Parts: sequence; C-alpha cells; structure tokens
Amino acid sequence: MGLQGTRLAKFAALLLAATAALLAAAVLLGSGGLDAQLIATLRAPRVLAAAGVGALLALSGLAMQVLLRNPLADPYVLGTSGGASVGALLALLGGASLWIGAAAGALLAGVLLLALARSALAASDDGSARLILTGAMLASVAGALATLLLTITPDERLRGAIFWLVGDLSGAQHGGVCLLAALVFALALVARQRSVDRLLLGSEAATLLGEPVRRLRYELLVAASLAAGLAVATAGAIGFVGLVVPQLLRLAGVQRTRELAWMSPVGGAALLVAADLASRIVAAPMELPVGAVMALIGAPLFIGFLLRSAR
Amino acid sequence: MNRPLLEARSLTLAAAGRTLVRDLSWRADAGQRWCVIGRNAVGKSTLLRALAGLPVPRRDGAVSWLGRDQVGWSPADAAAVRAFAPQQSADRFPVAVKRLLELAVCVPDTPTAGELLQALDAAPLADRDVMQLSGGERQRVALAQCAAQGAPLMLLDEPVAFQDPAHQMQVARWLATLSGRCLVFSAHDVNWIAGIATHVLALLGDGRWEAGAAAQMLSPQRLEAVYGCRWRQADGAWLMVD
Repeated sequence: MGLQGTRLAKFAALLLAATAALLAAAVLLGSGGLDAQLIATLRAPRVLAAAGVGALLALSGLAMQVLLRNPLADPYVLGTSGGASVGALLALLGGASLWIGAAAGALLAGVLLLALARSALAASDDGSARLILTGAMLASVAGALATLLLTITPDERLRGAIFWLVGDLSGAQHGGVCLLAALVFALALVARQRSVDRLLLGSEAATLLGEPVRRLRYELLVAASLAAGLAVATAGAIGFVGLVVPQLLRLAGVQRTRELAWMSPVGGAALLVAADLASRIVAAPMELPVGAVMALIGAPLFIGFLLRSAR
Repeated sequence: MNRPLLEARSLTLAAAGRTLVRDLSWRADAGQRWCVIGRNAVGKSTLLRALAGLPVPRRDGAVSWLGRDQVGWSPADAAAVRAFAPQQSADRFPVAVKRLLELAVCVPDTPTAGELLQALDAAPLADRDVMQLSGGERQRVALAQCAAQGAPLMLLDEPVAFQDPAHQMQVARWLATLSGRCLVFSAHDVNWIAGIATHVLALLGDGRWEAGAAAQMLSPQRLEAVYGCRWRQADGAWLMVD
C-alpha cells in the first residue's frame, strides 16, 4: 500500500524540511566557522554544487530504473558515469569541451549497455542479474580506461584520479546549472508521468496500452545519460545516489512518477549535501573525497536491496 | 455493417522450425466467446500474441481488427480496440491494484475498477501492492485490468490457469457478463470450456486447425483428435477414458 493523501503530504513536508535543514547546516558548519566571505566564496558554491549534482544523479538513476525496468539501476553501478569520466578525459586531452566529452561518453556507455543487455531485456523484460553484471563490467572497463588515460598523460591541468573514479566536490562549480538542468528533467518526467508509470508495468504492457514505448525509452536514455554526464563534469563520478534515493522513496511508499519525479531530486540533493558535510567534518581539517563517503553508504545499501529483491 | 472485430487471413505461425498454425482464415465477432484449445506447446499463446499484434517468432499472413490490418493501427488506437492479458505478469515495481487499473484505462466509459474487482472477487485487493498478491489473485487482477482497458476485443491467455475451482466458476460467470465484447481465450478444462465458450478453435499440433460452434466442436471424435486420448460424456460432464 503506497502513501496517499495526508500521509503523502506529511511525508513531502518532512522531506522538504529535512532538506532545508541540511542545506542550512552544510552552509554554516565546517572548518573556518561562520566567516561570511568564506561562506560566500567557498562553502555556498560547494553546497550548491552538491545539491545540483545529487539532484541530477537521483533523476538519472530514476530514469534508468524505468528504462531498464530494474530497481537497482544506477548510472555509476552500470558504467554510465564511468563512460562520462572517460569521455571528459579524452575531451580535455584533445582540447575539446569537458561538458560535451562527458555527455558523449555517458551517452555512448548508455547505448552500449542497452545493446549488450538487449537480449536479456527482450527475453524477460528486465534481465536483472545479467543487466547489472554487464553494467558492472562496463563500469570496470571505464575505470581502467580512465586510469590509463591519467597515467599516460601526467598533465597538471587535469584533476586527479580520485575525481574521475569516485568523485570529489572540493572546488566544484556550476551548481546552479546542475539545479536548472535537474528542474527541466523533473518537469519533463512529470509531463510524462502516466506514460512512465505504464512503462514500469513492463514494455509489453505499456505497448498494449498504446504508449510509444520505443520513443519513451530513447528519451529516458538520453535524459539519464546527459544528467549523469553533467554530474560527472561537475563533481566526478559519484556513485549510488541514483540507486539509494529512489529506492528509499519506494520503500517509504512513494510509488507514482508524479511524486518520485520531484522527491528524488530533492532527496538526492539532501543526501549528497549530507555526505559532503560528513566528508568535510568527520576528519577535519582533513577532507575526505565525497565519492568515497557515498560509496561507503551506498554499496552496503545496494547489497541490502539486492538481498531483499532476491527473496 | 459487417466488419469483423477480429479476422485472420492466411495466418501462418512457426516457431523453432515447427509450423504451429497453417493458413488460418477465421473471424470472431462481438458477442462471441472463443476458446482456443490444443495440447501444451501447440501454439495457443503464440496465436493469441499474434492476434494481439505482439511480436512472435515467425508469422505470415494478416490479422485485422474492424476490417483494418493490425499493422495499420497506431499504438493508441490499437489500445482502444484490443486488450490482452498474458498468462503471468512480471511485476518489478510496487503499485497498488487500484492504481494499476487506473493506468489501464484507454476507453473512458468502461466499468469502474470497483465494479470489476467486485465481479472477480478481488474487491479487498484494491489497496494491496501487486507484488504481494498470490498467483491466483494476481491473475484475477490482470483480468480486471484487461477489461478496464475498455477494448471490445479481449484476448486472454489461460485466464483460469491459477484459479481454484470456485474462482474458475466465478471467472466464467464474469466472462459471460461481457456480452458486448469479443473474447478469445485459451483453456484446458473441457468442462469449464463447455460451460462458457460459444465457439472453439482447435489447434491440432501439426499446423492444422478447426473452428466452429462449441456444440459441434466438443465431440468425442474432435477432442480425441486434439488431445490424443478418448473422451465420453456422462450426465453432461466430459470424462477422459483410459
């Protein structure tokens, strides 16, 4: 039984309040204390970037879960973020735009995943185990390629391996662009909410109900890839946000795309802001890479969801 | 007007190098309840999928709805004319039964979800999550979903496969109330079929087929040709003879 009516409204209010509190805490807390200039030039942009990237990653995960009809889909786990890292590195080395490189790399990885998992998808309409393993291998290949590229081109202008492999928010900018993109993405999902809900019933079921399934899936693939690409270009390859947030919302009883489309980005922003806050203050004055913190939260949850779905 | 709701012209279906149905030329109209019979793996599901316009391994010939070839229908228009209930639903995401029925509606003025669930002894399931239903409950919800779509042509793949005897009767009574629609379903229980089908389409296993009114089709000779075992009728019930 899903959340409805006043219970849904209460849950939404709680989510918004918690997110607002986290944002305030993240802006106010940290080494250096309450210094107005520090907050304006360093902390606020970083929190904004964390929120934007978290929102994008949660939406990307939500869209990939619909596209692949698998509740465990996530751009990091399935190699899309890895593809974006490789694309961005190649673009930087070739002197092209980081954004375009990341977007192209993410799209290529997404198309490759769909092509490789095609038979699994066609046979059972979700192909869960095969799909996840195929994606994990794609992620592995992308990680190896990124490492190789970083090794053979010791270029000081490039950000380090940690950024490209697990993600890092220190010095991240363009949070506003990410938030704007997330808003557009969320509105596009809401506009298609009935079609997306039908797609979750299965691609054949959606076809029988008259949905243009092929076009919807292309749209979801492009949107999920571009969102992951933009997130990677901003903060590197941070994992598990897209997996954890929609999954937790579903466990809480949020079932409809109409709600998931806005609660996922809000929850994703809150989660990544919280993870970033933790990475800044746990070992202060040292800073931990936020991607590693996210992986420490996300990977055990992934295993938990996997065990739960196997039952 | 005399455009058949469903018509197959020289429809040939094959799978794994075997011809399932050869040259099927056949029509079904509103008000008729057709049961497709045949042994396991004879191609009943493949035929229903082909009639629904879903992908099948190999097909030739044409299927038309309301006189227009099914390839000429847009997905949205097709959804308003034919509905299909597969034998099993592969649910991956939680969704409440009443939301599922709400999502299924393609033709607005159809029986409401409440009426459909009531008629199928599934009213208490309205707020449940489809992933937590038993096989039989899920199947009755799928039947309600199929009817909720509102299409005049309903194709049902073994609608009572998971039903207990009482629910088999209930489903039969419910199917009989859908009198304005054209129903094509598959089933195995000859007595259940005799009680509900107005017509029978028999697949013989080698590509041959026979179609006709249920009264003629359900005879000891024809049943033996279909199932390869002997039958007799006693007190109005069909019995298998050893």
